[in-house]
Amino acid sequence: MVEQLSPLEPVFRPGSYGNFVDGVGVTLSEIAPGSIVQLAAWPGEEKKLMATIGSVTGLKLADGAGAGASSERCSAFGFAPGKFLVSDASEGLATAFAGKVTAAIGTITDLSHGRTAIRIGGPKSEWVLAKLFAVDFSLTAFPVGSGISTTHHDVFTQIQRSGPDSFDLYVFRSFARSFWKMLCHASDEVGYEVR
Amino acid sequence: MSPRRTPSGGRIDRLRTIRFTFDGTAYTGHQGDTLASALLANGVSLFGRSFKYHRPRGVLTSGVDEPNALVTVLRGEVREPNIPATMVEIHDGLTAVSQNRFPSLAYDVSAINQLGGKFISAGFYYKTFMGPVIGPLKGTRFWMLCEKIIRRAAGLGRAGHAADPSRYERMNAFCDVLVVGSGPAGLAAAHEAAQSGAQVILTELDPCFGGSANWSGETIDGEPAATWASDVVGELKTHDNVRLLKRTTVWGYYDGNTLAAVERVSDHKDTPAKGAPRHRHWTIRAKNVVLATGAFERSLVFPGNDRPGVMMASAAMRYANEYGVLAGEKIAVLANNDSAYRAAAALAKAGARIVAIADLRSDVSAACRTLASEAGAELLTGHAVIGTEGGKKLSGVKLAPFSATSGVSKGNARDIGADCLIVSGGWSPTIHLASQAGARPVWSDDLQAFLPPETGKGWIGAGAFNGTFSTAEVISEGFSAGRKAAGQPALETATLPDVEPASLDPNPAPVFEIRAKGKAFVDLQHDVTADDVRLAHLEGFVSVEHLKRYTTLGMATDQGKGSNVPGLAIMAEALGKPIPEVGTTRFRPPYAPVSVGALAAERFGDLKPDRLTPMHDWHLENSATMYSAGLWFRPMIYGGPGETIEQAYVREAAATRETAGIVDVSTLGKIAVQGPDAAEFLDRVYSNVFSTLPVGKARYGLMLREDGLVFDDGTTWRLGEHDFLMTTTTANAGKVMQHLEYFLDVVWPDLKVHLTSVTDQWAGAAIGGPKARDILASCVTGTRVDNEALPFMGIVHGEISGAPVMICRLSFSGEMAFEVYSGAGHGTHVWEALIEAGKPFGMVPYGLEALGTMRIEKGHVTGAEIDGRTSARDLHLGWMLSKKKPFIGSAMMDREGLAASGRLELVGLIALDNRPLSGGAHIVEEVDAANPHGSLGHITAACFSPALGKYIALALVSGGKARHGKRAHISDPLRNRFGPVEIVSHHFFDPEGKRMHG
Amino acid sequence: MLITCPYCGPRDVSEFAYQGDGNRTRPDPASTDAEAWSAYVYDRLNPAGIHNEIWQHAGGCRAHLAVVRDTLTHEIKSVRFAREHGAPPHGRRTSGAKA
Repeated sequence: MVEQLSPLEPVFRPGSYGNFVDGVGVTLSEIAPGSIVQLAAWPGEEKKLMATIGSVTGLKLADGAGAGASSERCSAFGFAPGKFLVSDASEGLATAFAGKVTAAIGTITDLSHGRTAIRIGGPKSEWVLAKLFAVDFSLTAFPVGSGISTTHHDVFTQIQRSGPDSFDLYVFRSFARSFWKMLCHASDEVGYEVR
Repeated sequence: MSPRRTPSGGRIDRLRTIRFTFDGTAYTGHQGDTLASALLANGVSLFGRSFKYHRPRGVLTSGVDEPNALVTVLRGEVREPNIPATMVEIHDGLTAVSQNRFPSLAYDVSAINQLGGKFISAGFYYKTFMGPVIGPLKGTRFWMLCEKIIRRAAGLGRAGHAADPSRYERMNAFCDVLVVGSGPAGLAAAHEAAQSGAQVILTELDPCFGGSANWSGETIDGEPAATWASDVVGELKTHDNVRLLKRTTVWGYYDGNTLAAVERVSDHKDTPAKGAPRHRHWTIRAKNVVLATGAFERSLVFPGNDRPGVMMASAAMRYANEYGVLAGEKIAVLANNDSAYRAAAALAKAGARIVAIADLRSDVSAACRTLASEAGAELLTGHAVIGTEGGKKLSGVKLAPFSATSGVSKGNARDIGADCLIVSGGWSPTIHLASQAGARPVWSDDLQAFLPPETGKGWIGAGAFNGTFSTAEVISEGFSAGRKAAGQPALETATLPDVEPASLDPNPAPVFEIRAKGKAFVDLQHDVTADDVRLAHLEGFVSVEHLKRYTTLGMATDQGKGSNVPGLAIMAEALGKPIPEVGTTRFRPPYAPVSVGALAAERFGDLKPDRLTPMHDWHLENSATMYSAGLWFRPMIYGGPGETIEQAYVREAAATRETAGIVDVSTLGKIAVQGPDAAEFLDRVYSNVFSTLPVGKARYGLMLREDGLVFDDGTTWRLGEHDFLMTTTTANAGKVMQHLEYFLDVVWPDLKVHLTSVTDQWAGAAIGGPKARDILASCVTGTRVDNEALPFMGIVHGEISGAPVMICRLSFSGEMAFEVYSGAGHGTHVWEALIEAGKPFGMVPYGLEALGTMRIEKGHVTGAEIDGRTSARDLHLGWMLSKKKPFIGSAMMDREGLAASGRLELVGLIALDNRPLSGGAHIVEEVDAANPHGSLGHITAACFSPALGKYIALALVSGGKARHGKRAHISDPLRNRFGPVEIVSHHFFDPEGKRMHG
Repeated sequence: MLITCPYCGPRDVSEFAYQGDGNRTRPDPASTDAEAWSAYVYDRLNPAGIHNEIWQHAGGCRAHLAVVRDTLTHEIKSVRFAREHGAPPHGRRTSGAKA
């Protein structure tokens, strides 16, 4: 199988940057999951779709807007009514859902190449993201596992909180390099490590 | 140490000396000084020249309301003008210069304007320059002659030309309680809100929290107020739920309790910390806001009230107590209320001599008398200052008996020597933010000022903002405001803190002006005098809004913080109405000037969102000149050494038609249309039918808008029974998506269709030309690509160099052509394999210019023709309008106007003079270069056609087809290009499409 | 201005795209009533006060929202999913009618 070429390739340089003399505030990395799919249920079929996500990924999704969960390999979260973004470290997630998400339940859209997943972790993650998005990133407003859709200028972004200090950002592949540069720039002040 | 510096006291650090320059002279100050306090300590009295009359001006206040002492701060070549010296913190290397003077501050030639003052009073511009042009020196023509001179003479600081290298950034914040202002009221509010566990943000525009506690000289519960304040701040710092923002001005209060603030992160530093912005703009969404913004002390209007050395009483007290600086050595006082007495006592204690206190009131309280004697001052009740002496510095004041009813009695005037006159004309609560939020101010007869209404929507007031001036009550109000804002129940009994000394009565005598001979300023920054206000009244201005615009009162950078109320009072007197009936103006954002950099933040260069195709780096490495198309970057040409753009695209297009060419089409909008009703949905949104399209085939589709005009076009591929891949033009991808989502969500929610943008999922390479099929055949595995397996508009799946691909046979260039789609992450891999496979055949990569050339030769339309005014029939696409079904636009497309004859229709043009044509040129029957007229239409796109060997163009021309074969002219006066053309069919090349169908 | 999206919660207005007057009625697709079509395509209410509007949460979940807003104060009275409520009559065709 041919490996995917990351859109970040020429700008992704591991190392420490910015004002890191007192330690790095955030760590930036590319997750590069093997597959990313969007699953969307017809109105009234949401529960069945969530059950199917559970059976394929082992992730149990709570009810409610933006609910999500993640494991070592997989993650899933709601980002719009009846719509979920699911990722897996391996390829073939769309195939895994094919036949299980029937036409009566909803649709499967493979976005494995179309979205780039970037992780920001560390004590200053909320501070850096607050520069880019008009969203409340506090733990109470944005609990671990849950997801949102938002926009930085024209860059549509889906964000899942993957830990108390960690967020996974899914951006359109064509914007990924620009977005990465903006993220690095915004992290300068707190010091950041790329790895 | 300077004689003006007190030996102890204040929050400056006397052990740390800081060096800076003002107008080229080197000075020293201390850590904690503002530029104003440091210059005062150095005995500087002259800070700038006034706006219109170039009068010498000093420093009037100690804060953001400063109208006079505006300076320009220089950082290398970068100039930041109009910054109040009171708001500049000194740091080593600070370079500031004064403004509006030539050649120097001390010797300013334009000061002669003072003599001509009568002629440049209110409305001077309107009267002199506006109106009809009569004679050589009147009206607009005269303005044009004088503008440059006047602009230079009247004004403030000069903006620079150098690019600002500073960083600026924007920040978003959310909180339960935002407390604006950190004086005793704000600190108390923040403290209570923080205790409750609410998320709290406390902002302070100064570098130090505490507000008046830093200079009031009071004790709170036995502690000096400044210590009390720093204790509260220290405790707030221990709370995780509190964010403290100093040097942060909340400048806008918008709906939804969204507030805008700017934090000056690095202005006080010689070099900013690595990665730190100069200014950080905060957008704060607060559930509740506590407005603890305090009050401004107002001056009085009297002749010579702008002389350097005249200062607000509270400012002089603040300079002495907070900065350890005496504003003068021999100080006179002018007051209409009690608060100046405390300032006088404080200044005396700090070492100044108080020579006299003139109080406009005929009698004063015992507390005032005690303070006056503490200050060792002669108390003159029923007296006013009727003039000031001195040039660039105050040397004395003229006092005369005064009564509120009969005014000044000049007989007994006396002169008193003084180098400083401190004034208190009452207090105006800082209600700006509440006013922005929509609160209507209420006039208080007691305070002679506008107060905020008792409650607002989303905010609660506390302290001097509410017109409360006793510190004990201020703190108590702060506590209850903080509790209320955090959703806590009010305490049953409020305990007042113990504040010493007891508070004075801040209510002033209702006097705003002392009428005597000489220029008496209302708005110091805009040089508006009391006579200007009366002149406006005489000339018929009644509304306060008109008054403001006519005189420019309150319209300078200080937005009339000190001048609004006196101006209104003088207008009210002229009108013979009480002040509240004259009304006040509504305050608008910003509360204080905001740097444009902070508003714009950074969205340029590398920080602008660019969209790059998967093959972007390959293009750059292979000599592509990139072209920005919306946010996308696309290759324009792959230029060879020494090649012009025209040479490059002609070579690329010719090679494609000769052998083969390949172009990156990844930018085309791609939308996954999925679900059981997908085919039905497409039938409704496209003008032609899609439900009959078999799986594995593509079809060209046309979309109209509801009004019947053409919206967009593109091919849609049926990948499965319920699964379509729609392509749109690059430019319209977002608009088409929104259009489709609207109909699905709002008009037809019963349809089971999901739409997903998959533009970024796919890399697209279009390969066309006589050898295209052979090239594909040589590199594609897993499928045949011959005519049988892959007919025109057919789709096959296979692999190229191990990567899965989807190939559709369709053509934009008019050649035998294929679009090869692969996962975007495989895009470069597949592209390089195609390039390699094409080498033996002589295939070239081509850019947008060649793409455009070939589409013009074929007469295909793009956004230049689909311009929002053309119908399908205008573009000869009437055949795509299905008669079997309604679709979006079908009801409106046959309206009379859209079916009328003489509409602009798509045609081709050939230049008969063999010279280039250009888009936008008009087509006329006869050229009349002197008077271009009689347009038949315009050129939409033009190129040199290698296939025809001629300069050709597409155009929209009235009559269209009927003019085929006729000659006309292009008229392009802007580019001075006129010449003969022949009108022909838009199908220039291979009109039967033999090449495409092979 | 903040709009409380029923899915995403309160978000800044910059994430939303205004999609026009929510009071319009789309005629039956097969209708040839020129006046009704003209009213639908061109006529817009522009009240000073309470207004029914359609907004799309374009920078979020992308749902269309039926928003009732006071145009004088920007106060938002209610926000609902347009597809569930179609708040004002929207000329939605009766279910099942195929073109």
